[in-house]
Amino acid sequence: MALSGIQIYKMLPQTNCKECGFPTCLAFAMKLAAKQVELSACPYVSDASKKQLAESAAPPIRLVTLKAGTEVKAGNEVVMFRHEKTFYNKPGVFIRVKASDADAAKKVAAADAYKVNYVGMDFVIDGFAVEADGGDFVGAVKAVRDATKRPLILIAKDVALLDSALSLLAGESALIYSADASNYEAFADVAKKHKASLVVTGDSLDALADLTQKIQAKGVEDIVLDLGGKNLSEWLQRSTQARRLAIKSNFRALGYPVIFFAGQNGAAKEPVYAAQAISKYAGFVVLDTFTPELAYALLVLRENIYTDPQKPIQVQPGIYEINSPKPESPVLITTNFSITYFAVANEVEGSGLPAWLVVCDAEGMSVLTAWAAGKFDAERIAKAIKSFNVADKVSKKRVVLPGHVAVLSGELEAELPDWEIRVGPREAVDLPGFMKQALN
Amino acid sequence: MPIEIPKDKWPGSVKKVTLGATTAEGGTRSRSVTVGGQTTLPYLLFEAPTPNKPVVAIEIKSHKPDDWSPLLGEVWGDAMNDPAQWAKKAEEAGADIIVLALTLADSPEDAVKAVKSVLGATGLPLIVWGPGQAEKDNDLLVPIAEATKGEKIMLGICEDKNYRTIVATAMANGHVVQARTPMDVNLAKQLNILITDMGLPADRVIMDPTTGALGYGIEYGYSVMERLRLAALQGDGMTQLPMLVTPGFEAWKAKESKVGEGVPEAWGDWKARAIHWETLTAMALVESGADIIVLRHPESVKRVKDAVEELVAA
Amino acid sequence: MQHTVTFTHNDKRSSISVPTGTMLTEAAQLAGIEIGQPCGGQGRCGRCAVLVTEGDARRRSTLRLSRSDVDEGYALACQTVVEGDVSILVPPQEKIERRLTTDRVVAEVTVPVDYDYDQHQTIHRVYLELTPPSMEDQTDDWARLQTALRIQAGIPEVLCSLHLLQTLGKPLREGEWNVTAVVEKNLEFPERPVRLIEVFPGRVDDYSPIWGCAIDIGTTTVSLWLVDLVSGQVKAQVAEYNGQIARGEDVISRIIYSGKAGGEQEMRQRVLDTINGLLETACKRVKAKPEDVMKATIAGNSTMIHLLLGIPASSIRLSPFITAVNHPPVMIAKEVGINIHHEGRVDCLPGVASYVGADITAGVLSSGLETSENVSLFIDVGTNGEIVLGNRDWLVTCACSAGPAFEGAGVANGMRATQGAIEEVWINSDSLEPTYRVIGGGKPKGICGSGLIALLSEAFLTGVIDKAGNVNLMAATSRVREGAHGGEYVLVWGAESESGEDIVITRVDVDNLLRAKAAIYAGFSILADTVGVPLEMTDRVLVGGSFGKYINVEKAVQIGLLPDMDWSRFEFLGNTSVKGAYAALLDWRMRDRITEIAKRMTYVELSADNSFYDAFTSALFLPHTDMSRFPSVAEALAKSN
Repeated sequence: MALSGIQIYKMLPQTNCKECGFPTCLAFAMKLAAKQVELSACPYVSDASKKQLAESAAPPIRLVTLKAGTEVKAGNEVVMFRHEKTFYNKPGVFIRVKASDADAAKKVAAADAYKVNYVGMDFVIDGFAVEADGGDFVGAVKAVRDATKRPLILIAKDVALLDSALSLLAGESALIYSADASNYEAFADVAKKHKASLVVTGDSLDALADLTQKIQAKGVEDIVLDLGGKNLSEWLQRSTQARRLAIKSNFRALGYPVIFFAGQNGAAKEPVYAAQAISKYAGFVVLDTFTPELAYALLVLRENIYTDPQKPIQVQPGIYEINSPKPESPVLITTNFSITYFAVANEVEGSGLPAWLVVCDAEGMSVLTAWAAGKFDAERIAKAIKSFNVADKVSKKRVVLPGHVAVLSGELEAELPDWEIRVGPREAVDLPGFMKQALN
Repeated sequence: MPIEIPKDKWPGSVKKVTLGATTAEGGTRSRSVTVGGQTTLPYLLFEAPTPNKPVVAIEIKSHKPDDWSPLLGEVWGDAMNDPAQWAKKAEEAGADIIVLALTLADSPEDAVKAVKSVLGATGLPLIVWGPGQAEKDNDLLVPIAEATKGEKIMLGICEDKNYRTIVATAMANGHVVQARTPMDVNLAKQLNILITDMGLPADRVIMDPTTGALGYGIEYGYSVMERLRLAALQGDGMTQLPMLVTPGFEAWKAKESKVGEGVPEAWGDWKARAIHWETLTAMALVESGADIIVLRHPESVKRVKDAVEELVAA
Repeated sequence: MQHTVTFTHNDKRSSISVPTGTMLTEAAQLAGIEIGQPCGGQGRCGRCAVLVTEGDARRRSTLRLSRSDVDEGYALACQTVVEGDVSILVPPQEKIERRLTTDRVVAEVTVPVDYDYDQHQTIHRVYLELTPPSMEDQTDDWARLQTALRIQAGIPEVLCSLHLLQTLGKPLREGEWNVTAVVEKNLEFPERPVRLIEVFPGRVDDYSPIWGCAIDIGTTTVSLWLVDLVSGQVKAQVAEYNGQIARGEDVISRIIYSGKAGGEQEMRQRVLDTINGLLETACKRVKAKPEDVMKATIAGNSTMIHLLLGIPASSIRLSPFITAVNHPPVMIAKEVGINIHHEGRVDCLPGVASYVGADITAGVLSSGLETSENVSLFIDVGTNGEIVLGNRDWLVTCACSAGPAFEGAGVANGMRATQGAIEEVWINSDSLEPTYRVIGGGKPKGICGSGLIALLSEAFLTGVIDKAGNVNLMAATSRVREGAHGGEYVLVWGAESESGEDIVITRVDVDNLLRAKAAIYAGFSILADTVGVPLEMTDRVLVGGSFGKYINVEKAVQIGLLPDMDWSRFEFLGNTSVKGAYAALLDWRMRDRITEIAKRMTYVELSADNSFYDAFTSALFLPHTDMSRFPSVAEALAKSN
């Protein structure tokens, strides 16, 4: 269980020696509770405390890392709901190809090259799964490996096949699929031999827990669960149950990341299946279909769900058009804290009045906070007006400052000598009224 | 030893809210729709069944919109010129409820007429949205509420700015209100408190916590809804209301759905992408507890309804 | 069935016969006795308390009475029903005012019991009889004084400024070599040299005062206490708005202004003018002169101290938020610019961080929180709300920007808690007519912090405003109207006010008050969460601030400024910062303890994640979005509906 700052504080020396870099032991304890610092920073902590703290800090879901030319991590999650803290490791999105498919390598190459940009970030497909379905499995794995440097999942029932295929992937950490009650010993051996992670399958959580314990006893630690579940409902329930057992009951036998095959009921259902898996606790999502539009939608969803809710979200700085503004429409200024942006944009949008909304880079802070911290001043506002070429879009050089920073108007006049500076209302709610009355 | 699955037993539950009144109930609808009643988190059937599955509403407008994506124009065609025709087509497309969105151009008389024509064209329950400006909304919604007394329509959008007027007319005329707040658990709860403080029973209120589309802040809406539903189950009366979401409106506002040209190649096929955008936005919200899902494209309606069937089937 | 009710009022008895179920207030009215009911008979204000001396009556509510009050026989006339013959004593109003359980009045300042001038005070007066010089004894003046100090006062080493040397000769000769020296000792390290501050000719009466002053420089209000260091008594207490207000209401605006050309100098001068003005006023009251004051001990938030000393403050507001100095050394008054004795000592107390200054370390000292075994919560309601949670083992602190509303600034008709300020308000639930109490009893000039708290609470409970603070324009009273800034409520019509103008509370004022209380509530609830101590576990809630001479805890709870707990757990301490400065001015051990407190406090940054924002929005409602945190308010609301 996670300990509170005060509980941790009681295990520390309480000397306020400052050697950890924090002014008091309590400050250090609170940082420890928030997992923002390592216990090793304290030179004087007792061994007993160390042990106790390490136990409380162990993640309830094991971190499993697949590695090739790139890396994919799953696990290490600590909450059921993202608002409680955050979801940490985004589920890896894999594309499955079949060994018998003559175009397998070509399909992989196409998906491997896929790259899409979302608010300044590049998203890619994380890896590929190769399934033995007759034909030359080892050859297919080799062809796929030549087509991509990303981590692989190898799917086969025949351990000998897997052994040969894994020999091609020396130095990598692949994921093999899958061990069940009948074959787990052989699978565990081959996983151990090749330092691969191992998926276990079973038709119930009981069966899975039983297997993971046996496999762990054989020396394989990096385990991934396939929970089964033949439709959305079954999968949601099992996934929730496994996560609860791991996180709330601290049930180690199910404290592993989960893999989900989204194409199991056909391509038509695949988008929705994959979307549920992303929201509901999957560590790896395997798709049978690769299309850019689906990949883009799913990768954006994943990014959104895995965004740290504790961090204020920023809007891309720039000039935003609201209600199709014309050159004579007013220019409004705000910061790039998303809640601030949405408040302003929604009010103006709701009023039906056209406007240009200039969003300044204020490091994601609200107007007052940013101003207080020196991130929203005349210089920054002027820079935004200039760099977004606002002057080229409007016929009337007039900007409206948020009322909370009325004090900046003088300096802004100096920074933008050919612009008229107007002070708007303090609250977004009053913007429409202000625009109607004062800006004609 | 078999594993004991941890089951949550919640002290609270979501209230049931019914939209639409049949002839027997004092209205003219051919059926009413009840949502809410959940006693646990969405679709955890191992804890409790889903008493009322989420329903899909289709949004139509009193006048053909000029800012909708051409993809929507393709599917609705000429019906967009006539709200009654459009409503009929929406019913055929699988809508459980019709949302009629009024525009700033509507006069109170026009608006009442449009509402009446939609009520005449379909037997489904109706939600009416004002154009979204507090004063104009009041001007349109009050005469509509009076003209449709007893139909148990839902009046939107009721916000902190105009709640007194909308709630008063809903109380006087037997309607339901759609309480909208901008993506914040506390604001949602506060508006519910203000509304019920006026004397409108909580089972005549549906929350609209707002959400962003996929890629445009959906995570806020997602978490706000999860938190609201958790609070409801924990026994907080002022969050125990069903939730309405508008993924259609949000997703079709996004560039990803709206336009097909001048976008990155990596975005793929326009139409498929647009449907994904609306469907995935809707699905994320379904998973976090939405009860009424307002959509725009018939294909999305089909996909979302299919998914909901899978989720509620025992 | 008829019963006889006998009233005793102003020593007069009168009886009346009434049927079962008659309310005592009705019976009193029939008997021709006026019992004030400012809240309109809602059992809310407690002003109608009467004593049941004989017989019994059924009390429907005793919300405003303590258990011991009820045991003594008190009842609220508006909530008590006649069910048999009964005798009632109607006490004079003043007596009731004193009994009310929820009003917390600041205790009078008393000199600490163990204060011993000789042992604890660093400023000392020593009478010296120097050997007059002669042709034989050619020792210089300075050495002669040093010798006398060594031999007669046991002071082996003394430091002296050039200025004193320049003027030393005069008092020595004027007093014919009998002089009284004022020195500053180091009582913690007695071996260190003492400082000479002044030399007076002749003998100064041992019992005449040595003046010192304790100053709290608040963002909004500056307070100064003039203290006789010999007796330890506070002889004058004065306060005034900080002159820097003209350049911004909050610390951030001030810092930014001070960064402009000439800004630093102007800010410094403004606060010095305020302090020196107060000093003059206080000295006049005791017929002393500012230069008679030998020592000033100053508390204030870090920004205020920087601006006072003319130290650039910009780093306070910019990440990583570092002060130039948390603990300034003791300085000479002339350098600082405070018009006490030019050699007088100015001691600025130590702070902890940019937003936790000496005002809070001094406040913790005067609250006694750091000596208690149980966890207590200390809330200093100021422009910057500061909060400390802890006990003798640990102390955590945070700051939140509340704005100056509770000090009466930034509110249309707000004012400081001085003569003419409305300090308490009741609104009648039926008529929505207000009753109020004015400090000094004259015509009202405005509303001070405690009055604003009461007004907000009453307006909310009577439905004049809704829980979100919207003025209900449909309310049935002409006092509610549309003003320049949205809805407003007229508390005092122009005809009854000092200025002739209406005294109102506007929507904007309500918003400011809501934000202020929400910031403070969010601050202490998040702080408690951060360290993992539930608020209910706090033993005492110590409230400091400059809203007035008292706080009505019940009303502060009703608006959600203070947590809903048993009222007996609250203590109102008033201006804890100036009290802490006073303690440090008197006693070097207290001064040391403040330094220790500063070292021990752990500062928690609230705005690091979204949880503060969430807690803030949640508290931006009356009393709070989560009603389950305020069971007593829920009960009061259920009653008034």
